[in-house]
Amino acid sequence: MSNKYVIKFAKEGYIKYTSHLDMLRLFKRAFKKCGIRLAHSQGFNPHPKMGFAQPLSLGYTSRCELLEFETMESQSTADLKEKLAAMMPMGIEILAAAPLNVSAKSLAGVVDEALYKVVFPVDASSADFDKIVADYLAQDEILAEKRQKKTKKMATVDIRGKIRKIAVGEGERLTLMMNLDCGSISNLSPEQVIASFVKFAELPIDRYDIEVERLEIMFEKKAGIKLQF
Amino acid sequence: MYVNEKLNNLLKRVEKPARYIGGENHIVMKDPADVKARFAFAFPDLYEIGMSYMGLQILYNIMNKKEDVYCERVFAPAPDMAGLMKEEGIPLFTLETKTPVKEMDFFGFTLQYEMSFTSILDMMQQAEVPMLSADRGEDDPIIVCGGPCAYNPEPLADFVDIFLIGDGEESLPKLMERYIEAKEKGLSKREFFELIAGDTGVYIPSFYDVKYAEDGKILAYEKNYEGAPDRVQRYIIDDIEDVPFPEEPLVPLIETVHDRSVIETFRGCTRGCRFCQAGMIYRPVRERSKDKIMDLARKQLASTGHEELSLLSLSTSDYSQFEPLAIELMRECKAQNVSLSLPSLRLDTFSFNVLEEIQGYKKSGLTFAPEAGTQRLRDVINKGITEKDIFDAVEQAIELGWKHIKLYFMIGLPTETDADLDGIADIARRIVEIHKNSGKGGRFNVTVSVSNFVPKAHTPFQWAKQDTTAEFTRKHNYLFEKLKMKGVTFNYHDDSVSTLEAIFARGDRRLSSLLLEANRLGCKLDGWSEHFSLEKWHQAIENAGVDVDFYTTRGREYDEILPWDIIDSAITKKFLLSEMEKATKETVTPDCRYGCRGCGINARTTCKLGGIYEQ
Ligand code: SF4
Repeated sequence: MSNKYVIKFAKEGYIKYTSHLDMLRLFKRAFKKCGIRLAHSQGFNPHPKMGFAQPLSLGYTSRCELLEFETMESQSTADLKEKLAAMMPMGIEILAAAPLNVSAKSLAGVVDEALYKVVFPVDASSADFDKIVADYLAQDEILAEKRQKKTKKMATVDIRGKIRKIAVGEGERLTLMMNLDCGSISNLSPEQVIASFVKFAELPIDRYDIEVERLEIMFEKKAGIKLQF
Repeated sequence: MYVNEKLNNLLKRVEKPARYIGGENHIVMKDPADVKARFAFAFPDLYEIGMSYMGLQILYNIMNKKEDVYCERVFAPAPDMAGLMKEEGIPLFTLETKTPVKEMDFFGFTLQYEMSFTSILDMMQQAEVPMLSADRGEDDPIIVCGGPCAYNPEPLADFVDIFLIGDGEESLPKLMERYIEAKEKGLSKREFFELIAGDTGVYIPSFYDVKYAEDGKILAYEKNYEGAPDRVQRYIIDDIEDVPFPEEPLVPLIETVHDRSVIETFRGCTRGCRFCQAGMIYRPVRERSKDKIMDLARKQLASTGHEELSLLSLSTSDYSQFEPLAIELMRECKAQNVSLSLPSLRLDTFSFNVLEEIQGYKKSGLTFAPEAGTQRLRDVINKGITEKDIFDAVEQAIELGWKHIKLYFMIGLPTETDADLDGIADIARRIVEIHKNSGKGGRFNVTVSVSNFVPKAHTPFQWAKQDTTAEFTRKHNYLFEKLKMKGVTFNYHDDSVSTLEAIFARGDRRLSSLLLEANRLGCKLDGWSEHFSLEKWHQAIENAGVDVDFYTTRGREYDEILPWDIIDSAITKKFLLSEMEKATKETVTPDCRYGCRGCGINARTTCKLGGIYEQ
C-alpha cells in the first residue's frame, strides 16, 4: 500500500506569474515545513515523488490544479489539507485533498482534456459571437503558429482536430469556454486558439489584456479515475 | 493611486514577471491608512540580487514590527520592464501594495557597491522623484541611504537628504520615530532635518558647504546650520545578542542567488587586513551566543522550509565557539535533512573534518584567499596567511580527495611589483605539483581569480594610489602568460570597472555632475556586464570634465582633508595612519584577539573579543 495523495488547489491573483517550477519548489518547501516527508525516486540523483497532473502556463489562473505526490508515512487527508493550507502564500488556496488509489501510474499520464475560460477585453454584445464562434469552428482547418519543440522554429499547424468544443459564456465581456485536448497524447494550448480566433474575428485587441483561467482537468474515461475530494 | 490595472498587461510581456508581484511567504501586509510613516526600502539592483541580501530582511523585519510604520520593498526593474513602465506611464511602485514610491514618506536605498549608484538615480527617475535634493519639495519622499558605501557618502551628497551611518537596526527605527514626532508637530522637511541633525549616525549633507583649493583638494567643510555636528558619529550597537534577527524571512517565489536560511553569527573582524573596509567599519567584534544562533537557525528552517543553511560573518571560523557551534549545526542539519554551508573557513584539521562531513562526495572546491603572491606583499597588506598554511592545507585536501582548489588574489596592491605576480603563478604551479606528486591522478583543477585593488575610505590604504586601467590590463596579460599551465584556470575582473569604482569609493561631491551625466546617457545596472557600457561612461567622464587620475592614481597626502573625514567610523585616523606606515615598512600587525592594537573603537564601546587570547 503506497501513500499516494492528490491535492486540488486554486492559483489566483498575482501569483499566476510564477512558473510551474516555482510552484514545485513552493510545495516542496511547504511539505518540509509541515514535516511531511515525501517519498523519493531511487538512483544517484533522487527527486521527490511529486508532480502536477498538468502544468499550468505562466499567467493563467486556475481553480482546479492537481498536485499528486507520495509520502513516506500515511496521512489523513483532512490533516494534509489543513497543514498545507497554512503554508500557502497569497493566491494559493488548498481546496481539497484525497487519497490517490488508481491503477494508472500517475494522473499526469491519463490527462485527456481541459476546460478553459478565456475573457477578452471586448463587449460581449458588440457582435454576434455565437455565430462567429460557430463560423470559426466550421472551418475545414484552423491554422495556428506553433513553436516546434525540437527545432524551436515556428511552424503552421492545423489545430481544428484538437478543439473539442467552444461555447460563449456568460459575462459582460466576451467569454469563451474552451474544451481542448490536453495531456501527453494530444495537447493544445489555449494560446493557439486565442491567436487564431482573434485573427478570425478581427478583434482589435492586445493578447496581454486577455485573461485565461483553467476550470477543469479531465481524464481518459478508460482510466476510470474518480477523485474522492 | 494604485497601479494594479495596467500591471496585469505588462506582466504578461516581461521576463520573470514574479520579480514585480510580491506575495511571497512572510510578506508583511498592512493597511497604509493605519500607519504614520511609509518607507520604501529600495535595493538598487534586480529582485534576485536584492532578495539574497540579508540586510534587507533584517531591516524589513525590524521596521515592520513597529505598528505605525510600514516598510515595503522596491527593486530595480530589469530593462524590459523598465521600458514598458515608461511607455505605459507606470511609475516605480512597491511590491507590497503596488503604491507609487513617490507617494511614500521615505525612499531608502542600501548602498552595497559603488556601481549601483547609477541605478539609484535611475530608480528615482522611474519613481518620478526629482534626483537632486534641491529640486525636491515638501511632498516628495525623503531620500535616505545607508550601508557600507555610505561611509564615503560624498558622491551622492547632492541627491540624498539623510545618510544613516552605522548599524541600522536601531538608527532606522529611531529615524521613523523622529519623523512621526515631526509630522505630528507639523514641521517642514527642513525643520525635521534640523531636529535630527544631532542624532547619532545621522548625516545631512546639505548642512555643509565644501570649499576647494586651486589644486582641486578640499580646503574646508563649512557648516551652514549650526546644529550640525563637526563629525558624524557612526551608530554602534554595543551588543547584538538581542537585536531582532529574522525568524520568518521572506521566501521568494522565484529562484534567487541564494535560496537558503542565513544566520549572522557575529559582526566585525579582528584581523586587520589593510585593504579591507568591512574589517574596519564593523568593529568591534560582537557575537551572538551559540544558543541564540541555534534557536534562530531552527526557527528559520521551520518557517521557510529551506533546504540549505548558511552562516553570515566576515570569517566563519573566527567565531569564539566555532567548534561546538559547527558540531551542533551539523547534527541539527542532518536531522532535518538540510545541507549546511560554511563559507570562508580557516583550513585546519577541524574544518577539514567538518567539510568532509557536510560535503562528503559532493566537494565543491576548496577556497583560499591569500590575496597576494608573496610573503612580502602579504605582510604589506597584513594578510596573516603563510605559504606553509596554504600548502599544508592543499596537501591535506588532495589527500581527502578534493579535485578543485580556488585561489583569490588582488592585484595593484601598494608596493606590488612583477615579482609578486610571479608569486601568484608560483603558488598555482606548486599546487598542481603537489597533486601530481600525490599520485592521486585524475582530474584536478586550480582556479586563480584576480580582482583589482580599489582603495577604500576608512582603511589604512585610504591614502594609497590605485593602478591605472592600462597597468591593470598589463598585469592581467602578464599573469595570463604566466598562468598558461595545464590544470589552471585564470579569471579576472574588468579593469575599467575597477577604475570607476575607485573614482566613487574616494570621490567627493563634485562627482554628482558625473553621475548626472551617466544617468543622462542611460547608465544603469552597471554591475551587470551585459548592461554596462564603457563608451557611455567615457562620454560621461568627458562631458562632466572629471580628472580620473585625481581620484584614482593619486596618492593622498596624510594631512589632506578627505571627503569622508566628515564621517567618524570610531577607528582613529592615527591608527589607520600607523597601519599605512607599517605597510610601507612591510611590518605586520597581529590579529588583535592576541592583544589590543589601539584602533580606537573601545573609546566608543566595549570591545569584548580584543585580547581574548592574550599571550
Ligand atoms: S579596540 Fe583593540 S582589540 Fe578592539 S578592535 Fe580595536 S584594536 Fe582590536
